[in-house]
Formats: sequence, C-alpha cells, structure tokens
Amino acid sequence: MKKGCLIAIVAAVAIVLACFGWVKSTYNGFVQQQEGVEAAWAQVENVYQRRADLIPNLVATVKGYAKHEQETLDKVVSARAKATQITVDPTNLTAESLKKYQEAQGELGSALGKLLAITENYPDLKANENFLQLQAQLEGTENRITVERKTFNEVAQTYNSAIRQFPGNILAGMFGFERKPYFEAESGAEKAPKVEF
Amino acid sequence: MKFLTANKPSAAGSLPRAALTVLIVIWAALSALAADVIPDAPNPPRLVNDFAGIFSPEQTAVMEDSLEAFARKTSNRIAVVTMSDLHGLEPMEMAYGIGKKWGVGDKKHNAGVVILVKPKTADSGGKVFIATGYGVEGVLTDAYCSSIIRNEMIPHFRKNDYYGGVDAALKVIKPAMKGELNEEQYLGKDDGAEAILALFVVVLVVIIFISVVSKKNGGNGGNNSGGTFGGGGPIIFGPGLGGFGGGHSSSGGFGGGGFGGFGGFGGGGFGGGGAGGSW
Repeated sequence: MKKGCLIAIVAAVAIVLACFGWVKSTYNGFVQQQEGVEAAWAQVENVYQRRADLIPNLVATVKGYAKHEQETLDKVVSARAKATQITVDPTNLTAESLKKYQEAQGELGSALGKLLAITENYPDLKANENFLQLQAQLEGTENRITVERKTFNEVAQTYNSAIRQFPGNILAGMFGFERKPYFEAESGAEKAPKVEF
Repeated sequence: MKFLTANKPSAAGSLPRAALTVLIVIWAALSALAADVIPDAPNPPRLVNDFAGIFSPEQTAVMEDSLEAFARKTSNRIAVVTMSDLHGLEPMEMAYGIGKKWGVGDKKHNAGVVILVKPKTADSGGKVFIATGYGVEGVLTDAYCSSIIRNEMIPHFRKNDYYGGVDAALKVIKPAMKGELNEEQYLGKDDGAEAILALFVVVLVVIIFISVVSKKNGGNGGNNSGGTFGGGGPIIFGPGLGGFGGGHSSSGGFGGGGFGGFGGFGGGGFGGGGAGGSW
C-alpha cells in the first residue's frame, strides 16, 4: 500500500515536471519569436523613416530646377507628413494598424514615384550630382524597404505557424499569443520608383 | 533527394508504380519551381565568378589574386560576379541574393560587397549593381556606390572594357572599405590624394625618427642589445602603421578558415544596400 502510494507520487511529480518543462520551453520559445517579430518590425520602421528623412532634401533639390511642379512637390510633402504621423506600437501589431501604416507609406511611395517621373523632363536636374546622389540613396532605401518587409513577413510567418500548431496552440491561447499580420503585396503603389541613369 | 530516399521503400510497397512515377514528376516540377535562380556559391570558393565570360583567363586570375590578398589582409570580401542572364530578377535582387546566399563577408563584420555585372547584348541593356553588406553600408553608402558606377564603371563598360570598369571601381572600393577614402575625398579627388600624401609624409618622418632613436639605443645598450632592439622596435612601430591604415587594419583576417585562398565565404549579412546603373 505504502509502496504503491510512493510510486504514484513519484509518477505524479515526474509528470508535473515534464509538463512544466514543456510549458516553459514552449512559452519561452514563443516569447523569443515574438521578440523577433518586434525587432523585425522596428527594422521596417527604420527603413521607412530613412526614406522620410531623405525627402526634405530631395524636395529642396528638385524645387530649384522644376519650379512649375509645385503640385507634385506639395503632394510628396503632405504624404510624408501623413506617413510619419502613423506609427505602430510593435507590441500591438494588428492587421488593421499594419494596413493603415502600409497605406500611408504606399501613398508616399506613389507620390515619390510621380516626383521622380517628372524629373525626367529636367535634363539639368538629372545632371546634378547632388540630385543623382539623392536618387541613389532613395533607390537604396526602397530596396532596403523591400528587404526588411520580406524579412518581417518571414519572421512573422515562423511565429504564426508556431503558435497555431498543435500542441503549442493550446498554450498560445492560454497566454494570449496572437497572430501577427503580414505585409501584403501591393498593386503598383508600393513599387520602388524606377530610376534610370 | 531526402524526400525520395525517405519515402521510397514504403511508397513503392503501397502505391502502384504509375502513381509513384506521377508523384516523382510532380515533386521534381515543384522543386524546379522552388529552385531559385541565384547561383550556388562556387566550390572551391572564388571571389571572381565570371559566369558571363567577359574577362580573359589572365584578367580573372589577376583580379582573383588581388581580391584574395585584400581579403586576407582585412576582414573585407569583395565578390565580382558576371552573368549574361539575370533570370528575370532585378540587378539588385540578384546581387543582394548572391550576397545573402553565399554569405559574402564574415558573420562578425558583415563586410562584404558583391559587384554584379550583366554585360550589354544585342537585345538587352547592360546592368551593374554594387550590393553592400550591413558592415560596409556606412563607408560605402548608396550614393557613393552610385558615383563609383557612374564615374568609374559605365564609361569603361560603354567601350566594352568590362575588366577596366570593374578594376577602376575596385581601386575606389578597396580603400573605401578600409576607411581610407571617403565619399567627399573621392568626389573631390585631389583632397583625398593630398590627405594620403600628407599622412604618408608624417608616417615616413615618424619611421625615420624611430629608427634613428632605436639605433641610438641599440648602440648604447652594447652587446646584449639584440633582445631590446627586437622587442622594442615593433611595439613602437605597430601603432604607427595602424594609424596609417585608418584604424581598421587590425581586424585580423589572417586566420580565417582554411578552404580558399581567402578564407571562404561565411555568413555576411546584406540588407539591400548599394546602388545600380545601366548603360
């Protein structure tokens, strides 16, 4: 009787310990992946900010050569103002907030695309070393945006599949780990402005 | 292949042969779709990969030697890749993809650069892209890369002198990566040359001074001066040289691995930096 009791207790302790180990490693794994998603998001915001930082200089340079394009320039400036206003709290990354962010940045992207398109009509501007440098920086930034968005989606996907797969999904539900949204491919709006030299 | 070897025994037993064949065909088609068009890292590792065949063998050998020497001396890796077909990718995607897939540069410094050249053909334009790793984005900014492409590469490329163009670019990129030639110095070329000359003169004076002083010491020290001279000299000498190298030369690339003549590729990160051009 006593021996049976002991075995039962040992077994129970072993099971509890095993359960604890599983919960601990799974939970910590989720936390780590969540941190990864947030870090990837910070990187995304970084590169978008980098683009926003380039714009005042670009607008000033273009203005000197293309005075009649005030409307296009204004559009870029206002789109930039709008885009920089929208920030997303990485710990509360919802599909809705991401969509808003993406829309605002997409608008800025297309305004910039139009601005670069009209610069084609100004040969003097296109020969300006300062402008060429800004253009190169802008193009590089667009490339970085593409890269960081892709990285974000990959990291988010790893995290999402981890929290949705059995048996991890039970824990994810208990501790409130939520699915992270993805960047969606946009039809042209977010396309990097083509820069021809 | 893993899929096949793992499943073949059980699959062959339970499925009719035809179904198995269909499965294999589908699997092969899928993997062909997924197989990416970015070339695999060369084995043994090479820094000059002239897939398009626009360099002569001698040119390739000379460039490879100089890039390997550069890689051994510093932690920097520059890979030159030429391709006659980018398989529908943008030059940036290909150059960045190669940098990431091969891991040009090491994990610690991420100091890798990929120079991708797609020569001009009868039915397609010439394209070039310089992709910079995370670690060199600061010294080789996008604008700097773009200047190098416009000023050094494209003028040569237009004359079908591909080697000349890449070589001219390397003459700027190498000192830039070592921190010896920044964007301003490059754009106002003379300033840079003057600064380096001035530095050179200073270093020369210091070296002469040190050698005079240590000779004096050696004379005073008498017979047992061999030890003091050998020990003292390099210690004074070291910082002097380090200063000349812009502080970066101390990142020891000598012991880096064993495969290639430059330590192989390994984990350098790329974030989309760099610039491109076409002609």
